[in-house]
Amino acid sequence: MDVALKIWRFDAETGERELRDYEVEAPEWACLLDVLDIVKDQVDGTLSFRKSCRMMICGSCGMRMDGRAVLACKERMLPIVEAGHVPVISAMGNLPIVKDLVVDMGPFWQKMRAMKPWLQPGYSEPADEKEFHVSQQQVETIHKEALCINCGCCVSECNSMESDPEFLGPAALAKGMRFVGDSRDQATVERLEAYNADHGIWDCTRCYFCTERCPKGVDPRDAIAKLGAESIKHGIDRDMGAKHANWFVHSAKTTGWLRETELVPKTQGVVASIKQTKFAMSLARRGKVPLPFPPHVAEDVKEARALYNLVKEQGRDGAAGIVQGEKGIAYIEFAEEHTEPGTGPASRLEPGAQPELKSPEGGD
Amino acid sequence: MPKVAYYKGCLASLSAKELDTSTQALAPRLGIELDELESVTCCGAGDIHEAEPDYYLHLNARILAYGEATGADTLMTICNVCTLNLRQANWQLKNDDALRARVNDNLERVGVPPYSGGVEVKHFLWLIAEGEGFELLKEVAHKGLKGLKIAPFYGCQILRPSKILGFEDPDRPWSLERIISACGGEPIDYPAKIKCCGFPIIQAREETALGELIQPIEQAMERGADAIVTPCPLCHLSLDAWQQKLEASTGKSYQLPILHLSQLIGVAAGLDDSELKFRRHVVPVSGVLEKLEAP
Repeated sequence: MDVALKIWRFDAETGERELRDYEVEAPEWACLLDVLDIVKDQVDGTLSFRKSCRMMICGSCGMRMDGRAVLACKERMLPIVEAGHVPVISAMGNLPIVKDLVVDMGPFWQKMRAMKPWLQPGYSEPADEKEFHVSQQQVETIHKEALCINCGCCVSECNSMESDPEFLGPAALAKGMRFVGDSRDQATVERLEAYNADHGIWDCTRCYFCTERCPKGVDPRDAIAKLGAESIKHGIDRDMGAKHANWFVHSAKTTGWLRETELVPKTQGVVASIKQTKFAMSLARRGKVPLPFPPHVAEDVKEARALYNLVKEQGRDGAAGIVQGEKGIAYIEFAEEHTEPGTGPASRLEPGAQPELKSPEGGD
Repeated sequence: MPKVAYYKGCLASLSAKELDTSTQALAPRLGIELDELESVTCCGAGDIHEAEPDYYLHLNARILAYGEATGADTLMTICNVCTLNLRQANWQLKNDDALRARVNDNLERVGVPPYSGGVEVKHFLWLIAEGEGFELLKEVAHKGLKGLKIAPFYGCQILRPSKILGFEDPDRPWSLERIISACGGEPIDYPAKIKCCGFPIIQAREETALGELIQPIEQAMERGADAIVTPCPLCHLSLDAWQQKLEASTGKSYQLPILHLSQLIGVAAGLDDSELKFRRHVVPVSGVLEKLEAP
């Protein structure tokens, strides 16, 4: 088959950028990585990209196709060619570009290291002096998180990280959950305290791009929710994000509906809320600050309260409340179904645009 | 006329009442009979999922159970976050019989009817973008949107994760554009239309949230949009109410009107002021209405 594609070429030393057209002959079974190999062999030996295993295990060939972060070895080209589509290939986002399709993974690994991604069993010993026993249920808690191959596809489109480059991000936090949820690990509280700091779990804006992009079904947003639930279970709830989340629980069991006007002081504290008075007044003039009294109470709210008490008695606090019914591996099967490459208009994400990185001091 | 169980959620009952009134006025004209759920609570907005996930699942199962009890096979939402939370719980409950049995046992113990998995959760947008709703839209939108450039803003939780939402390609959605065009307006294309408005962290991490919010506002303005339309009241609140904070931090003046989906169609359908309630917006909408040309 004839494969046409456009590649964003970039030279960090000279700063030159150019979108170049390529057309090569490739076998019908070819994936994007095969096509890039053919381009490099036959057309332009200066094209740079990372690769190794060719089978979705090593995580080297993360890049963008039409603005979506993908593994080049996972993307079959035949349906794209048949649709007459010419995809745009570019480097992943949220990481500095070194050359062409190669990004500097330094910031990625730095955040990964900050998670202390190794088992910390402390002084605990196996009960039978041979090995730690881990139940099926305990494995399920971290099954998806353990599938991560560190490719960076989730980080590429993380909306929070675009705005706050210091955000630990989906890959590192999923790794964090892999250890927080490991029944052999004894550093749970220390880990959760660290992940609750600024730029930690409560920075996540729930855009779900990470979950959408992950080629292995890790579902990092789900992992971040598990970390939030584990934090609150362990009483680590000082962050405004945790207070915000807890207020929804309190609202649901007292009035049923969100107690919207009280959400700001309950999240930010009274002093910070007073500083927002002018802003609040501008909203109040438009009816956007509903009076808390009389409260908007759902009918039969006593049922919601009774459910809360019942659920708390059953003890599925923390990540255990999320894991049930999850059928982790099904995520990969499902991911194959929806995408129809090349059927829509051109890419809606800026291909290969280098994010504007804030300085480490936090200035612009 | 198909009857749907109508779950309006928190904001449409409180700070976004204009979303509820415009939806109640518009839906019957599009062939949708609303049976409003009265005994339901908040879906948890993703926050209860993160704080007390087992309680989140039960709260949403309770909403689904009351939806099913109306006899309707569709539970209609008007908020992205409600849509994701309810569909996620529905997906878990439908795919795991043991889990559903445990949750149902708990529901029955507090006097809630059990849930058999017979309800599909659908956003109002999806009911209008295709099928009978779309056929009726062309007649209903008799006043049109001629002369208006409208920037669609989808927000996140109506697109992703697509395994839960699944209505359209999350990277190349088309539903809002189709509706804008059918009403006679001109849809504007821009990259941030599928990105985050920052709302979930706007109270806990305002600076990071504003860094997200600025993208759709600036991109839509650069491309000449007269207004943004969104299917989500949280995106609406962020784009409309927090726009003044963006103005304060950038020193620029945006004043870009933000419309709920039901309001945009409502303008084209000639709904009353009392139903559209534009006076409840922070950024005035009058400029858009003045620019509207006769069909």
